[in-house]
Amino acid sequence: MLTFAEEIMLLILDDDGSFLPTRGGAVEYILAGAVLMDLAFANRIDTDLEHLTCLDTVPTGNPILDQALAHIADSSQPKDTRGWIETLAGQDTAEIRQQALASLIERGILESQDKKFLWVFRARRYPTIDGRVEREVRLRISDVLLSDDIPDPRDVAMICLVDAAGFLRDIFTAGELERATPRVEQLRKMDLIGHEVGSVIAEIERSVMMAMAISPH
Amino acid sequence: MKIEEQTVDSVVIVSLDGRVDGSTAPDLEKHISDVVERGNTQILLDCSNMDYISSAGLRVVLVGAKKCQQGGGKLMLCTLRATCKSVMEVSGFLTMLDYYDTREGALAARS
Repeated sequence: MLTFAEEIMLLILDDDGSFLPTRGGAVEYILAGAVLMDLAFANRIDTDLEHLTCLDTVPTGNPILDQALAHIADSSQPKDTRGWIETLAGQDTAEIRQQALASLIERGILESQDKKFLWVFRARRYPTIDGRVEREVRLRISDVLLSDDIPDPRDVAMICLVDAAGFLRDIFTAGELERATPRVEQLRKMDLIGHEVGSVIAEIERSVMMAMAISPH
Repeated sequence: MKIEEQTVDSVVIVSLDGRVDGSTAPDLEKHISDVVERGNTQILLDCSNMDYISSAGLRVVLVGAKKCQQGGGKLMLCTLRATCKSVMEVSGFLTMLDYYDTREGALAARS
């Protein structure tokens, strides 16, 4: 099974293997949320409206998750979910991204290509070799959002991340998205970590818009 | 957390007593799975003595509700205490699952 970070990386890459812009430009919050979700689903942490607690310090075997788990376990200052999203996002999330990409390459889903542009600058891209996994992720999201069935908690969490990143418009047509909106609004509250990621990014977006509105031309 | 079970008119009433959190949620998940595997997909979670539910607990409730639905039945909730009801409301669970203020109300709605 892919981690949340790996699944979201598949959606962050376009067909060409370049990174798509995320809502509010806040990919680090998405990745931090993804790591916390993986720890929660691995039964290492638990959350409620006010706390995030460490349940089990036994390593998961995934270095990124275990690094975050050790950080949470060693922390002397209790934090809520939002506090941990902000803390992990404030660290080097490039490592989370690189590890997710490396894992997807190792599984034969992506490949790494170095390309030069303007004859000088190098850019690394990650084109898809095997698109089945990404299609399966998109299909799962689409199935949950366009039906009234009770969703799987993992799908709910993933939808929260995809919604927070602003990628639902890449999965659905405008008409489908309009039809799915009430369902998205219902599901985005059902995963606490996902809900908090969405709230943080919405706040960043509002701050950017306010700054743009008051800045002189 | 203590779990008790009784069956009334083909509805399996699972009564929860205590905290449903990361350390106890796996027990509840197993209990609900066992009930469904025995062919019972009409489940009423009686929460009158449940005094706390965390995200791990909510996930188990959702997994249980999905299993019941897949088996052609339904998982219902009743008698939530104020704090747990507030958590369920804030997290949108009460818009997805059938909730009743009393056990009798849930059983009457079922029959």
